[in-house]
Amino acid sequence: MEKNSSPLSPHLQIYKWQFSSLLSITHRMTGVFNVGGFFLIVLWVLFLATGPEYYNFYQKFLKSLVGKFILVGFTWSFVYHMLNGIRHLAWDFGYGYEIKIANLSGVVVLFLSILTTFFIWII
Amino acid sequence: MKNHALNKWLIQRVSAIVLIPLLLFLLYSLVDLVNQDYTGALDFFDSYLSIAIFALFLIFAGTHLKLGLGEIIEDYIQQENMKNILNRIIMLTSAILPLVGIVSLTIIIL
Repeated sequence: MEKNSSPLSPHLQIYKWQFSSLLSITHRMTGVFNVGGFFLIVLWVLFLATGPEYYNFYQKFLKSLVGKFILVGFTWSFVYHMLNGIRHLAWDFGYGYEIKIANLSGVVVLFLSILTTFFIWII
Repeated sequence: MKNHALNKWLIQRVSAIVLIPLLLFLLYSLVDLVNQDYTGALDFFDSYLSIAIFALFLIFAGTHLKLGLGEIIEDYIQQENMKNILNRIIMLTSAILPLVGIVSLTIIIL
């Protein structure tokens, strides 16, 4: 049992679902998801370095409906993680802990993440 | 050990702050680049600013993802063996992705 002495965080099933916990787990999920987006970006520059054949093939995929869906999804995931990350940084500096403020900043992050994704793709 | 954890905590935050402007610039550029053809995409790397931002993004994102994923493993995986394996995968991922990116970038510039 010695090996299993390291304490764990309570697993997710333990918690009652609340807005705040939903945003928190979404932060981690988008963080993991963003590794996939990072992979696509690295793949893009790799294919660009490899030559036009690979690049055109990759671009064709990205411009397809499925590709666009994936790209918009990753854009939102990156933006959400960034905005909620700023929220976390505010907490690190000791601001925004009041329940009302924390809920409000959560709504703002969610709203802004969708709005920013929309603006990045439309404008 | 204490200093080690503090360093991780600090690097995670500093890399997060650095990544904010880099990410915004990159997302905005990449959305446009998807519609560019091969030569149009190459033109993007004619500017030193684009090269610098792209390279910095690769390095800081690699650092940030390593610490972030490591933290999740630490929170939810108890078995030492599994933890070691996953941490090794994370270490490899966080090194290979930026490396491939930097090498590709160098080839493009040259």
